[in-house]
Amino acid sequence: MITLYGNDRSRATRNVWMLEELGVEYERNMVDHTKGEAKKDDFLKINPGAKVPALTDGDVVMFESLAINLYLAMTYGKGGLWPDDAAGQAACGQWTMFSATEVEPHTVGALIELIFKPEAVRDEAVAQACLAKLPPVLNVLETTLSDRDYLGGNSFTAADLNVACVVNSLNMIGFDFTPYPKMTAWVKACVARQG
Amino acid sequence: MIKLYGSLVSRATRNLWMLEELGLDYEHVSLDWAKQENRSAAYLAINPAGKVPTLADGDATLSESLGINLYLAQKYGQGGLWPDDDAGRARCVQWSFWAGAELEPLAYGRIREFLFKKEPDRDQTLINDMAEQTGPLLDLMTLALDDNGFLAGDTFTVADLNVACVMEYLDRSGFDISGWPKVETWYKTTYGRSANQKIQDQRAPIAAEMMKRLQG
Ligand SMILES: N[C@@H](CCC(=O)N[C@@H](CS)C(=O)NCC(=O)O)C(=O)O
Ligand SMILES: N[C@@H](CCC(=O)N[C@@H](CS)C(=O)NCC(=O)O)C(=O)O
Repeated sequence: MITLYGNDRSRATRNVWMLEELGVEYERNMVDHTKGEAKKDDFLKINPGAKVPALTDGDVVMFESLAINLYLAMTYGKGGLWPDDAAGQAACGQWTMFSATEVEPHTVGALIELIFKPEAVRDEAVAQACLAKLPPVLNVLETTLSDRDYLGGNSFTAADLNVACVVNSLNMIGFDFTPYPKMTAWVKACVARQG
Repeated sequence: MIKLYGSLVSRATRNLWMLEELGLDYEHVSLDWAKQENRSAAYLAINPAGKVPTLADGDATLSESLGINLYLAQKYGQGGLWPDDDAGRARCVQWSFWAGAELEPLAYGRIREFLFKKEPDRDQTLINDMAEQTGPLLDLMTLALDDNGFLAGDTFTVADLNVACVMEYLDRSGFDISGWPKVETWYKTTYGRSANQKIQDQRAPIAAEMMKRLQG
């Protein structure tokens, strides 16, 4: 049985999305990192790094939200979320890493300063610096989506899920998506799958 | 034939190391960014982000250095750099993302401060904060290495390669890892592998030239 650790106020939501796409059975352990529960011994046995999400699946024990999604797609989504062809698999690896290294540092940086931190200690200048990094990155998505419906081609794969979950987080801060019409339509289509 | 785009003073070295480990035939296309070659229309058609590295292999064209290494391991390193078992593969993916998401921002932050800036311009508060955040990451690696000596199992895999090629930034920026002896031993053996040594030997004279420009 698969167990996903982390509640809905964490990056575990992106793994819930993947698990639901794959239609595999799983249970949840709602470790609440905001109450320090990720630092307790029970959870440290799963991830000594004291962060959620984490996942166990038989003898597989792992952390890193986007890596968990790739593992799940590779293992349970062959021919679907994890395409059969080398080019499709390459796209999944590339775009997921792009999401982690090129997009998420800036989205999270902005979210922390605009909504997650207590108001008194928020730093607007840091938030703006993060947001300023986004246009070239989002333009890469806009350009890529100009001649296809999904990042890897014509079907929804782990590449789309792993980038869309990060880009969509910008809706929490009322980000202006109008300069990126193709990307906006794509995020909407991806997110709508969650029902 | 496999083509890898990106110069020896870029993240392309991560992939050159992997290609050497796998013993693959490849063509190295070194783009010179002093000449903006990575912004040419021809290159942007391959990678619209205009960044390096990019790998072209038959139908597959992809960017993201650590993602390229996962792809190469999976396609050409089955049973070796890419383990046969689910648990090993899960750890390969996990550590590669950990390298990109957790370690690289701190390690590259140090490169920016120590190599790209001159002494008086460095941000000491930022340097101290980054050092404080780096410790727990090395603690976590120590625990992982306790089990097996390698990150994903009993043998060298893409997990070790992808973490070591990012940890290189700590090394180059003078971060002292001797307080984490397991990590230090692991790094020396991993980074010192002959496949990487070959690439580092090619890189050394070009990098020395670049450092003279940056710090001279
Ligand atoms: N790169 C990691 C980040 C994990 C992370 O920072 N998780 C947060 C919650 S979403 C956490 O556990 N924070 C608790 C802490 O850092 O103490 C991933 O993608 O899983
Ligand atoms: N996350 C990317 C980062 C790629 C990156 O920033 N590459 C640098 C060189 S190492 C680059 O191309 N910079 C030139 C530019 O941004 O124009 C990766 O790991 O491949």
